[in-house]
Amino acid sequence: MISGTTALFVWTLRADNRSVWPHVVRGAFAFMMLFTLALAWTDAFGTTRIGLRFFETICGLNILIISVAGISYFSTAVTEEKDAGTLALLQLAGMSPLAITLGKSTSRLVSSLMLLAVQVPFSFLAVTLGGVLWQQLLAAWCALAAWLILVANAALLCSARCATSGRAAAVAGSSAILFFLLPAVTRTTTAAIPPGLLPNAVLTILTNLPGALEIVSPYRRIDQILNDWQNTGFFSSQFTLSLLLAATCFAVSTLRLTAWARNASDTDSQSGPAKRRLPVERCWKLPLTWRDFHFYTGGWPFFTMKFLAGFAVYAAFVAIQQVSTGRWNIVLENDFGWTAMLVYASVLTVEVLLYASGSLFSELRQSTQSTIAMTPCSAVSILLQKAAGCLIAVLPAVFWSMFTLAVSHTSVTTLVDMDTIVVWGLMLIFSSHVAALFSLYTRWAALPLTVLVSFFAFFVIAGPVLTIPDVVDRIAITHNYRPSRLFAWTITAFWTWLFTLLPLQLWIRDQWIKLSRQ
Amino acid sequence: MSDRPFCDLFAQPAASNSRLPALVVLFFSVFQTRMRFQKTPAVRTVPVAVHQPQPPQDFVPESQLQSMPAITRDTVPAISVSGLSHAFRGHQALSNVSFCVLPQTLHGFVGPNGAGKTTTMRMICTLLQPNRGEVEIFGSNVRQNAPAVRRRIGYMPDHFSMYRQMTVAEYLDFFGTAYGLTQQQRDRVIGDVLTLTDMEGRRNDLISGLSRGMQQRVSLARVLVHDPDLLLLDEPASGLDPRARIELMEILRELRRIGKTVFISSHILSELADLCDAVTVIDRGQVRYSGPMDLLLDSTDQQPLWNLRLTTVLPGIIEKIKALPGVAEVTEPEFSSGRDFIIRPAEGLTGNDLLREMLSLDLPLASFGLQRRHLNDAFMDLTTRGVPA
Repeated sequence: MISGTTALFVWTLRADNRSVWPHVVRGAFAFMMLFTLALAWTDAFGTTRIGLRFFETICGLNILIISVAGISYFSTAVTEEKDAGTLALLQLAGMSPLAITLGKSTSRLVSSLMLLAVQVPFSFLAVTLGGVLWQQLLAAWCALAAWLILVANAALLCSARCATSGRAAAVAGSSAILFFLLPAVTRTTTAAIPPGLLPNAVLTILTNLPGALEIVSPYRRIDQILNDWQNTGFFSSQFTLSLLLAATCFAVSTLRLTAWARNASDTDSQSGPAKRRLPVERCWKLPLTWRDFHFYTGGWPFFTMKFLAGFAVYAAFVAIQQVSTGRWNIVLENDFGWTAMLVYASVLTVEVLLYASGSLFSELRQSTQSTIAMTPCSAVSILLQKAAGCLIAVLPAVFWSMFTLAVSHTSVTTLVDMDTIVVWGLMLIFSSHVAALFSLYTRWAALPLTVLVSFFAFFVIAGPVLTIPDVVDRIAITHNYRPSRLFAWTITAFWTWLFTLLPLQLWIRDQWIKLSRQ
Repeated sequence: MSDRPFCDLFAQPAASNSRLPALVVLFFSVFQTRMRFQKTPAVRTVPVAVHQPQPPQDFVPESQLQSMPAITRDTVPAISVSGLSHAFRGHQALSNVSFCVLPQTLHGFVGPNGAGKTTTMRMICTLLQPNRGEVEIFGSNVRQNAPAVRRRIGYMPDHFSMYRQMTVAEYLDFFGTAYGLTQQQRDRVIGDVLTLTDMEGRRNDLISGLSRGMQQRVSLARVLVHDPDLLLLDEPASGLDPRARIELMEILRELRRIGKTVFISSHILSELADLCDAVTVIDRGQVRYSGPMDLLLDSTDQQPLWNLRLTTVLPGIIEKIKALPGVAEVTEPEFSSGRDFIIRPAEGLTGNDLLREMLSLDLPLASFGLQRRHLNDAFMDLTTRGVPA
């Protein structure tokens, strides 16, 4: 078993070493230090806590990247073998489930821990800059490492359980979102429920659930470490519990791997014709729009489901508002309006990024790009048609965002102004382009890389984007003309497209053509 | 020197080879048929100038020759490849490749792994631009008229490239729409291609639930959905079981019968030999042979051998045949049942003369014909051993 595991481990490390992208990602992580340093310097200039600000940013970014990247990276550990049909071959070669899970996940875990390790020496700069102790630094890195190990093994469990990489990533992603959202949602719901409505036992569970979930939360632990210099023990409850949970996930993955793999293989190779239960309408005039909408984003059934879910969320907010304020009102007030808007915007962001990173990749995965290229459709037409298919699928989220914005305008604009909404929209469009581009280069890293690039790009793009309307206003006023804000934003959108989106669009087109010819 | 040297091989029968005119005549007998799928007759795209064929010398009935069209320099080839060269990162994948595929024929394309077959195919189907050289499809240059060329060709790649979540009908409907067919046209053509590929009963099945052979049929149906004149099939039989392979070959024969030109790359040489009218052999990026299949299988440096089959086993007959003045050597093939003999005639003796001598023995003759080389032997002679670096 040891030789098999070692062979698989060494092979994976070699493959990782030969590939350019892991090195690029490591380089990007090192570069992130410089960026966060600049950010901290600007943000905390003149104070004595620049180091703390610097390290806080690093930790926040790492949690985000570990959560997003971990899900996409580790959830393919076993499923990539299932996708390629080689899992059975590994088993035939005498590899035990333990050898497979160890060999497939340990190398990935080591290379991911190396990503954290590469930052540790640089982070000690924070001590010099002031506001943080070296003990706090090490404790924070331990907390991050524990979180990474937990994410890796939870994703490994999904990978062992699910039949395909797509399903594994979806399950792991949903679990992560649930993990982060559940405490806040539970707290809000529990607070809004009038006393006596629920039995005491249920209320106790609901009250204690957020705290229980937050024990393993890296945000809470980092917050504790950085705000209390005495609370810097390496082996905190977060660290211990994360490792315990990770070990449990790993054990379950290993013990159940054979059975789950057999089930997946049986389902895959079932004899007899496979029929779809729900019919799909005839092909539209834009065939790729039809194909992406129906066969990639889930089609009308999923569209309807999302629309109804959006309605349910809004109805829930209205109900909670009614319970807490005592009066029924479709207009969400106070915090309810912008919280609902935040939920819809988050869903829209996740949906757009998922579709952008997967739409073109789905063609590459099925090797259909050259077959499509042989049709009379041009590359630009193909890409636009695919984008249109995905855009139809995000309409429910767009509708409910717009509905909330229109109906609960007062509550939304108490915290968010129109400029922020426009910048968010532009950033979303930019990120979707980046995700589509990365999906043509890399198999698993498109989404995390997009998050990373978008984070840095925000500072580069948001400044000019927010400034251009003011500049347009000033220039117009000097010419005795008072333009509307819409005009200013149109000018902004044009320049953003010309200098940011157009180069990306051309790059995507060229790369797509190149891949179509392979 | 002609600018289409390989087309000349078809256009000008070699006078020195007495069997060639007959073979060429047989080879182009497929022109007799009319295309079912084409909206206009085949002569629209193939301007064949009819001229009086060469008089026969061996075993070709006079009646068959009278109605036979011939290929001339004016015939527009389905594929004309000239001087094609291409390099990938310093590796010369193709080097001055030239050959020609005549319309409404089944043309095999064989070569060892890494010989440049797929690269050539991708250049023909407009997916890859060559570093040097030209490709013309029915007279249209692929570099200059790529969109028009794409409408006339159907390309089936060497790997499965299918939307497995779609049903068979949805998949074909999708490609029909992509090629700009109206709904009525799609309804008609999908029915036609499913009938042709014998998949009518599986039209509502998900592709993911089909066997490999059936998926290959669906791929073939997809290639046919826009009614192309030329089909480029890259390893269509790879991974198929014998039954699926035989059925695929039957479909390809049917396609030729209805007037399609089929350019097929395959490693299954025995089937190609039976199936194809012509063949191009490529090795290490260079064309080793391109021309009629018969010419390749019949060509040999030595005196041709003839195959004699009797209806019954006659003891001592081999000695009687050996005793004939026109016979130089008689052997029995391996695993023979005693009714088959391979005869080497004496120097200068024609097939007619030899047959006359055989008939003089009053033998119970079942068949008498040229002993052909197997395509495997020809392939091994033409290609170099080993995998290219």
